[in-house]
Amino acid sequence: MIARRLPTILPNLTFEEALEITKIYSIAGELKENLITQRPFRSPHYTISPSSLIGGGRIPKPGEISLAHYGVLFLDELPEFGRATLEVLRGPLEDRKVTISRVATTVTYPSNFMLIASMNPCECGYYGSNVKKCTCNLKSIKRYIRKISGPLLDRIDLHIEVKPVDYKKLTICNKNETSKKIKERVDKARQIQLERYKNFGFFNNAELDSTLLEKFCKLDEMGSEIMEKSFKRFSLSARAHDKILKISRTIADLDDSKDIQYKHIAEAIQYRSLDKKYFRD
Amino acid sequence: MISKLNESYIKENKQTTNKENQIKIIKFDDSEFPEQLRTIKNPPKQLYVKGDIQILGEYGIAIIGSRKCSNYGRTICRIFTNNLIGYNLNIISGLAIGIDTCAHKTSIIAKGKTIAVLPSGFNNIYPEENEKLIDKILENGGTVVTEYPPEFKKTKESARVRNRIVSGLAIATLVIEAKEKSGTSITVRYTNEQNKKAFCIPSSLLNSNGKGTNKMIKENRAQIVTKVEDIIKEFPELKLERKINFNFLEEKRKMEYKSKKTQKINLEIKKENLELYNFLMKKPQDINEIAQNLSMPIDEILCKLTLLELEGVIEELPGKKYKIK
Repeated sequence: MIARRLPTILPNLTFEEALEITKIYSIAGELKENLITQRPFRSPHYTISPSSLIGGGRIPKPGEISLAHYGVLFLDELPEFGRATLEVLRGPLEDRKVTISRVATTVTYPSNFMLIASMNPCECGYYGSNVKKCTCNLKSIKRYIRKISGPLLDRIDLHIEVKPVDYKKLTICNKNETSKKIKERVDKARQIQLERYKNFGFFNNAELDSTLLEKFCKLDEMGSEIMEKSFKRFSLSARAHDKILKISRTIADLDDSKDIQYKHIAEAIQYRSLDKKYFRD
Repeated sequence: MISKLNESYIKENKQTTNKENQIKIIKFDDSEFPEQLRTIKNPPKQLYVKGDIQILGEYGIAIIGSRKCSNYGRTICRIFTNNLIGYNLNIISGLAIGIDTCAHKTSIIAKGKTIAVLPSGFNNIYPEENEKLIDKILENGGTVVTEYPPEFKKTKESARVRNRIVSGLAIATLVIEAKEKSGTSITVRYTNEQNKKAFCIPSSLLNSNGKGTNKMIKENRAQIVTKVEDIIKEFPELKLERKINFNFLEEKRKMEYKSKKTQKINLEIKKENLELYNFLMKKPQDINEIAQNLSMPIDEILCKLTLLELEGVIEELPGKKYKIK
């Protein structure tokens, strides 16, 4: 449910982005309007094959990841997807494009999408729950988690564990932030990023490379100390290090803060809990 | 060149044979066969041993419990293991996951000697994930024992039967946590058959992992204990004495705290996070509960949790729960 609401808080498309998406849909033969003005939201079923995910055919057509360009690719029940299907995502997630080679031709499609995935903590779904006791044994929990490879998990920026919603909350409308309000914040942060990167040819923090990372994600003394300690303590990968920097940059932007403060770093580290928790001995 | 290769090959082979040689076989008639095992019913015909044979004959307590243990069980297991080692007793267990693993690991940390009794041969270690633990036990002067030849694979029967060796090697058995029907109760039965004392940690009636232990107490099969001295005073003839100032867990924590104190930045953080720390002291809480009870925004809590985690005072549990270490 959260994932489906996500498009409502995404920033509006720029004209260039809209044009690019429309082109892809036109190639795929799925264009139903003149210009696509909404960010796409794709949620393929977990029986999908690797080639329909990244694209394929004799003359390769764009797959789901390209159809989700500038939008959201939502993979529900991530461990149920085939191992091969998930592993093909590694390259596109990194490069934001995918090259498909067939006998007839070789095509490169853009695939700059936001990957959202959901999964249960274990086969019965109650590992770590307060409501019901988990009936799985430790081995089966590990087996379930291992269906998602470390490298893939490493490429996912934010890991969040959610509890089942209790009845009270389902029925009472509480005063949570509405999508509209959140979107205002997102737009503001996006504006800051557009301004910052206007001379570099990209739009957002995610696309920072390592040289620019140094330039825009400077840490203060305390921030670097926290970073250094957590790097050792949680044995993070180099990729995770960069991701944490980018996440904290985004948190700082949402906070309307010019510099990354230690609290932004500390928050960012919490969003990378899965690798340190489940892939540790 | 070739001679060099040959040399390294021979060297390597030597190492591997050495490794295999580590398994020593003790027959029932050998003088090294542990005395206390001779007298039990249906004693093993031979023992395959890795590590120090001597310690098999020393005084030890068997610490056993369920594979799926609660946080309560784990904490109690650590405290009792640690203190029993303080009385120069060895810790004997079955290398299963849960309480067994916890007992072995704690004894390694506390620099005590520990004996693991396998339900399988050395080439088919069960459970697989504890293979590394075996190496650690051996590195730290412990011993691994089995009555089965190296190629033997664990069966339900073998897991049950090896429990007689666990209780046989020990002077008494301590049950930390057990479900109503479990291998643990089999070990207790063996202990009783061998005319040895079984001890039991009481558990909450609501804890399904503690039903077995509570039942044992009720049926008088095991004696209730609340502190290590309850066990020690049952063996006046052994004249067990506590090593002076022995408390590794406590000392470890103190040392960690001291090293933290030297860092200025951490001291500043400490004050701010005190509220959160005190809240977690009561019991492990998940992040939503923390947010509701302390009425703090989630981002602030996440930040504080990282800082506390880096300091090593809290640890994360499944379900985004946090507990004080």
